[in-house]
Amino acid sequence: MLARFSYDDRSAALLVLPVMAVLLVVAAFPILYSFWVSLHDIVLTRPLRRPFVGLENYWRMLGDARFHTAVLRTTVYTVVTVGVTTVLAVGVALLLNENFRGNKLLNTLLLLPWATPSIVNGLMWKWIYDPTYGLLNAVLLKLGLIEHYRAWLGDPDLTLLLISNAAIWKQMPLAALLLIVTMKAIPDDLYRAAKVDGATVVQRFVHVTLPALRPGLMLVLVYETMISIRHFDLFLIMTQGGPGDASYTLSWLIYVETFRSLRFGTGAALSYLLAMLTFLLSWLFIRAFGERNG
Amino acid sequence: MAAITCQGLTKRYGGVTAVQALDLAIAEGEFMVLLGPSGCGKTTTLNMIAGLEEISDGTLLFDTRDVTRLPPHKREVAMVFQSYALYPNKTVAQNIGFPLKLRGVAPAEIARAVAEVAEQLELTALLERRPNQLSGGQRQRVALGRAIVRHPSVFLMDEPLSNLDATLRLSMRSLIKRLHHKLRATFVYVTHDQAEALTLADRIAVMQGGVIQQLDTPEGIYERPANTFVASFLGSPQINLLRQGLPRPGWVPAGREVVIGLRPEDVARPGDGLVTLSGRVELVSPLGSETQLELSVGEATLTLRVPKDWRVAEGETLDVGVDPARLHVFDAATTMRIAP
Repeated sequence: MLARFSYDDRSAALLVLPVMAVLLVVAAFPILYSFWVSLHDIVLTRPLRRPFVGLENYWRMLGDARFHTAVLRTTVYTVVTVGVTTVLAVGVALLLNENFRGNKLLNTLLLLPWATPSIVNGLMWKWIYDPTYGLLNAVLLKLGLIEHYRAWLGDPDLTLLLISNAAIWKQMPLAALLLIVTMKAIPDDLYRAAKVDGATVVQRFVHVTLPALRPGLMLVLVYETMISIRHFDLFLIMTQGGPGDASYTLSWLIYVETFRSLRFGTGAALSYLLAMLTFLLSWLFIRAFGERNG
Repeated sequence: MAAITCQGLTKRYGGVTAVQALDLAIAEGEFMVLLGPSGCGKTTTLNMIAGLEEISDGTLLFDTRDVTRLPPHKREVAMVFQSYALYPNKTVAQNIGFPLKLRGVAPAEIARAVAEVAEQLELTALLERRPNQLSGGQRQRVALGRAIVRHPSVFLMDEPLSNLDATLRLSMRSLIKRLHHKLRATFVYVTHDQAEALTLADRIAVMQGGVIQQLDTPEGIYERPANTFVASFLGSPQINLLRQGLPRPGWVPAGREVVIGLRPEDVARPGDGLVTLSGRVELVSPLGSETQLELSVGEATLTLRVPKDWRVAEGETLDVGVDPARLHVFDAATTMRIAP
C-alpha cells in the first residue's frame, strides 16, 4: 500500500503528521464536538441528562424573537462597520499612496490603533463616551454643540453606531494597509496611459484604481465582515447588550445563552448558525469581487 | 498631423538635470527616433512632449500652438508604452475604444471605429478577450490600436518593442513602419536599440547626459558620427577606436592628438589605394553570412567583419586593406569628429 507513494510523498506525510495531529485536536475535534453538542439538549444545571434532539435547537432559535432582534442588530452593526471601514480605508490608502513629506511617519502612526489590544480599545472608547467625565461630552460642550453632558451609550438610537465607531477606529488601519499594498502594485504606466487617453482624476480612480483594487477590497470585505459579524469584546465592555436590546447582537446572544443561561445545546446551535452566515457572506464577496479570468 | 518644436526644453529633478536645454524641430509627418543608453534623458523628453512630465524650462510648440503647460489630453497625442499599459479589466474592444468613450463619442461610432482599427491590426477575432489572454505581440497591437483609434496628430512611443522576443520585434517593427506610411502622422519613438532606430527613423537624435549628441538621418549618423560616443553607440560590433595602430589619413595635421575609428566591415583584401594592415588572427566567429574575427595588429586588437569566403583560421597571419577615406577621425581631447 505504502509502496504506491514515492519516497518524497512519504517523507512529506511524515513531516506534516505532527501538525496534522495538533490541528486535529485543537481545530477538528472542537468543531465536530460543538456540532454534536448542538444536536443535544445540554443544560449545565442538569448535567447528567443530555437527550439527543436532532435539529430542534436550531428550529427553536430560528423561531426565537431574541434571535430575530440579534440578526437585525448584527446586520446593522456589520453593514455600518464594514461599510465605513472600507470607504475610510480606501481614502486613507489613496492619501498614503501619494508621495509627500511625512508619509512614512503617517504610515507608522496609522498602525497604532490596530496595535492596541481590543480590551484597551473598548475601555478607551467607553471612557470617551462616559456621561460624567467623557472626552466626547467635554469637546461637544466646549464647541457649544450640547448644553449638558449626555449618556451617549444609554441612547438606544446611538449605541450600535458608537460601538461601531470604536471598532472602525481599530479595524480601519489594517484594511488601509491591505489596500495600500494592492495600490502599490498598480503599474504607473496605467495611470499615464489613462492621462494621455484623457481620463480625469475621478475617471482614473474608476477605470484604473478601483478595478485593480478588487483583490484587496475582497480581502478587506471578507476579513472585516468575518471580524464584525462575530464581534464580542466591545459589546461586553461597553454595553453588555443594552440599553434594552439596543446592542443585542448574535455574539451577545450566544454568550447569554451559553454562559449565562448555561444552555450549551442552543448556544452551540447559534454558533453554527453564525458560522454559516459568515461562510455565506464570505462566499458572496468572493463571487462578487474574485478574479474572473482565472 | 503636427510639427513639434522643442526650444530649450529642460527637466530638473531637484539638483539633477535630466534634460538640458534641448532644441529639436520635428517636421510634420516625420518619424523621429530618440536613441540613447538608459538614463540619457530620451524617455524624459518623450514624457515632456506627452505632458506626463512638467517642463522645468523652455517652450514646446505643436505647430505654432504653445503646449508647454497643457495637460496630456489637451495635446491630442497618443502614447504607446513598453509595458503596453492595457487596462486589465477591460476587453480588447473596450481598451481600444476607451479614449473615444472618455471623449463622449456615441457607442455606435465607437464600435465602428474599434472594428476598423481591429481590422487594420488583425485583432478582430480577439476583441472580446482580456489582456491576460493575449500574447505580447497581440497586447502591443492592442496598445497601437488604442493609440490610432482617435487619429491623434502626434504618436509617442516609449520603447514599444522592448518586451517582445526577437522574431516578434521584427514583425512589429514592420507593422509600425507601415502604420507610419499609412497615417503620415508625426511619430516620436524612443529606443535604445540601434537596429530599430536605423530601420524606422527618418531622423535620429542620439542622446547622452540629457543632451542631443547628434541629429541626422540614419545614414548620416552611421557614416558621419559627430563624436566618439555616437560612433561607438551605433554599429554592431562596435567601431574600433584607437589612438595608435590604425593608419593616420594624410590630411590630419601633424602633431594633433587624434582617435582613429574603423568600422568592422570597412576592410577588404589588400589592393590599390588601400593601406595594408597585417596581424595575427586571434579569434574567428562564423556568423553564417559573414565571419567576425579579432585581429592583433601590433599592440592593438581590431574587431572585423569579413565575407565568409575568406576562410580564415585562428593563429594565421592575415593582411587586410583599409581605405583611408573610410576612416573616422576624432579629436582626442574633445572627442569631436574632424573632417578634412
